[in-house]
Amino acid sequence: MVRLGLQLTLRSGREAMVRLVITAAAVAVGVALLLGVLAEYHAFQANASQACWSCTTGQPVPSPLPSHGELWNDSVDFYQGQTITRLDVAPLGAGAPVPPGITRLPAPGEYYASPALAALLAAVPADELGDRFPGHLAGTIGDAALNGANDLVIYIGYTPAGLTALPGVPAASKGGPVPGTQWVTSISTAPASEVFTPFFRYAFGFGVLAVLFPLLVLISTATRLAADRREERFAALRLVGGTPGDIRVIASVESVVSAFCGAVLGIAVFLLVRPALAGAALVGTRYFESDLTPTIWGYLGMLVGVPAVAAIAALVSLRRVQISPLGVSRRAKRKPPTFWRLSVLVVGVGLYVYGLSKTTHASIGAPAYPGLLITMIGLVIAGPWLTSAASRLFGRLTPGSSALLATRRLADNPKTAFRAVTGLVLAVFLGTMVGTLVPAVNSTEASPANASLSNVLLAPVGLDPHAGAQLISGLSAIPGATVYPLYSLAGGSGSVGPGLGPGDTAVSCAVMRQLAVLGQCAPGLRAVQASDSGLFDDNPMYNTKPFVDSTNTAYTGNLSSLPLQTVMVRVNSPATLERVRTYLTINTAPQPASGQGSAPTPPRTFGETLQIRLDRAATLEKIVYAAVALTLIVAGCSLAVAVGGGLVDRKRPFTLLRVSGTQVGVLSRVVMLEAAVPLLAATVVAAGIAYGTSILAFVRLAPAGTAIPQLGSDYYALMGIGLAVAFGVIAVTLPLLRRMTSPGNVRFE
Amino acid sequence: MNSPVATRPHLIEARDVIKSFGRTPALRGASVTVSPGEILAIMGPSGSGKSTLLHCLAGIFAPDQGEVWFDGRRLDTLSEDERTKLRRTTFGFVFQFGQLVPELTTTDNVALPLLLNRMRRHAAYTTAETWLDRLGIGDKIANRTGELSGGEAQRVAVARALALAPTVIFADEPTGSLDSLTGEKVMDLLTGLAREAGATVVIVTHDTRVAAYADRVLMVRDGLVSGDLGEVADQVAAAKAAR
Repeated sequence: MVRLGLQLTLRSGREAMVRLVITAAAVAVGVALLLGVLAEYHAFQANASQACWSCTTGQPVPSPLPSHGELWNDSVDFYQGQTITRLDVAPLGAGAPVPPGITRLPAPGEYYASPALAALLAAVPADELGDRFPGHLAGTIGDAALNGANDLVIYIGYTPAGLTALPGVPAASKGGPVPGTQWVTSISTAPASEVFTPFFRYAFGFGVLAVLFPLLVLISTATRLAADRREERFAALRLVGGTPGDIRVIASVESVVSAFCGAVLGIAVFLLVRPALAGAALVGTRYFESDLTPTIWGYLGMLVGVPAVAAIAALVSLRRVQISPLGVSRRAKRKPPTFWRLSVLVVGVGLYVYGLSKTTHASIGAPAYPGLLITMIGLVIAGPWLTSAASRLFGRLTPGSSALLATRRLADNPKTAFRAVTGLVLAVFLGTMVGTLVPAVNSTEASPANASLSNVLLAPVGLDPHAGAQLISGLSAIPGATVYPLYSLAGGSGSVGPGLGPGDTAVSCAVMRQLAVLGQCAPGLRAVQASDSGLFDDNPMYNTKPFVDSTNTAYTGNLSSLPLQTVMVRVNSPATLERVRTYLTINTAPQPASGQGSAPTPPRTFGETLQIRLDRAATLEKIVYAAVALTLIVAGCSLAVAVGGGLVDRKRPFTLLRVSGTQVGVLSRVVMLEAAVPLLAATVVAAGIAYGTSILAFVRLAPAGTAIPQLGSDYYALMGIGLAVAFGVIAVTLPLLRRMTSPGNVRFE
Repeated sequence: MNSPVATRPHLIEARDVIKSFGRTPALRGASVTVSPGEILAIMGPSGSGKSTLLHCLAGIFAPDQGEVWFDGRRLDTLSEDERTKLRRTTFGFVFQFGQLVPELTTTDNVALPLLLNRMRRHAAYTTAETWLDRLGIGDKIANRTGELSGGEAQRVAVARALALAPTVIFADEPTGSLDSLTGEKVMDLLTGLAREAGATVVIVTHDTRVAAYADRVLMVRDGLVSGDLGEVADQVAAAKAAR
């Protein structure tokens, strides 16, 4: 039987070969897409579990200095919106631990840079970047220390005395450790505990789910290509004594061979596009190509799982043939789908809404996740009923032979009709959710005040009055830079960063007039006491709230005699921004790296702070939009296969209709309507449910008073393109219809 | 119309067979016997139930009520697997259309039931080619059946039915899609070779010229079997005389 199955698959003429090629191609598209998603996930996981050397924590620097270990000061810096991870390091003796990616610590006056940073250093003027790093390039840092090819990392070598005597260190600490410097005896090998990793993981899970579901539909549709025709052949085999087991073997062999060919082809396609995928930087990091690979289990899963799914789909489709050797000629009428098919959808939506009722501004209620999954499954289950109902309604409202033929077939087999558009309906559902939620989330983050401060750099400096005056003078000398100083009332010069409490900062009212969105003094005052701590909250929704108003107490002393606590610098160009940042880096101490929610340690503009947050949202958006786009591709393939297969199945009745005088145009409209009616009916329902549930989620998650989001042009563009592709796919099959139903084909066998 | 073989023990017997499709009755207590080596024609108007009776006799359908016996065994109580085995080893089929696999060559189609019957591949193909030769289409062994004319395709079906050396051949409108001349050639081959092989033949037809090849003719009306041919009796007799 296996041999016969192989013969029927591989050596049975053009029609069988075309069926094999189409099925394999459709499966290959799905397999390549799924491997792509799995590879991205694997690379993301590899990154997330990579040893995090910058997470190393040491101890306060002892005095006197020990003779082993090293002085370690890691910080972050920015260049044109890109983050630079910087390590200043000084060995205290032989055997000091070496961070990954290099074989020895940089000697004093040397640094190692990642390949991307080395290229950047060579390309941009030194006063915009290179001057921040003392010494010369000794070599490049290897992949072991990097998350991806675009990572900007630098290790700078010092003597212990050199590290403690960095420029800009407050006078009181001269000879002591630079702020943030630790004594390290071993380097962390644990992965980083990234706050956003779980969110990305959810987004990936969502993406895999979004692709996997339509992919299974595609594989089952493809392996059932021209199933009615094939079932007639199987019925003939049954007639001459083929057992149901024999038929199952033959059908399985056919499906497994085509799915296996598709899986192999899909793997080949994936390997071809892998370099391009590595550059796609889906989560913001350009992965190393070696990381961008599914596991061996991923490949095996494709080679074994996809044919297995195909075989199961083929066996499920054979149930009717097992009834009688006369096959389709005595097929029992299918039961029409009932109203109960809506129940799963209702349960899913109910569970989702219940999950939302448990949702707070901080987290989404756990039942919402299974609710979303069950809603998607419910849409697939409810689809045939919706198709049946829509076809009845359409048949009542629309006259004409095309509508009659199409609605009769839809009413006779709404399951098959809906199967062809299942993927598209799911894509519409996901696309509507994303289209509603993402712009809504973004709109809550972009406050008007941010725009006016987007080119203002904020840098805590903590300098004594003399050094502060020098810093202001130096910054003011940079063309295009305007300096706004904030002074410390806390006493001494060691208070670095935000003020310590109400009234611990003094600021000129002239400065506040230049920074109007941060508040205004009462009329007639020259300077006021204030608390500027709000400036340092890493939350763009609040960091531009005014910190001065008419109630602030006047400060009547001499501002220039106070320690300089913070400078804000307005810049007129990106180049000026980098010059200012370089000047600050050279003339102030590096600030210790800190986690989410802490002060923004490196000097950066309000615009950059906002951009970092928006980039995270954009990354999530990119992942889900990519999933929607992939879903549309898979769904388009499913539709093409289903429509093509449906034409092959109905070659005989359509040809007879043409022979009896029916125009090709009528048959074309029948084919178009058979896809359009279920597609539009289910699309309206899917989009409606997705929009409604997204609004509910938004209301629960967004701050009170936020406007209800409207679907934007991106959404309509994506959905419009998706539907246009769907109808385009159907239109492509219409020339096939003309040729296949040529009256010359009236003799069939 | 009595047959010379009617007195032999029955090879096939249907007793009061009732079969419905949904609410539509097809057979309403049909009874019929077929003797070994007999060629029996079953006639009847469209929708009378004659094809359904043939399918019940061949074990394709299980009757709702009544009994079907074959060679001393209750056919209607056999399992699907056992009835399938009978179709593979003991019965041959020639239908109007749809019984050939167009993706396969003529030889493949004829060899197919032999292969299903676990005959060795070489022997199956040799037997198939021999029968195709005997039916006059030895030059078509490499053609796919979709490429043949209607008459040639029916000859392939006859070859496939006979290649098994079946005990019974069931033929449902075997010439229904053929012109009269081609139909006669097919019937000459079918009945001639069946008699030569000692096979019993049950033919369902509405064509009196086809019925004229039979030893005995029965009529099915409204799901019941009758020996009274009514108005077609003279036409069958005339066709028989003309042969």
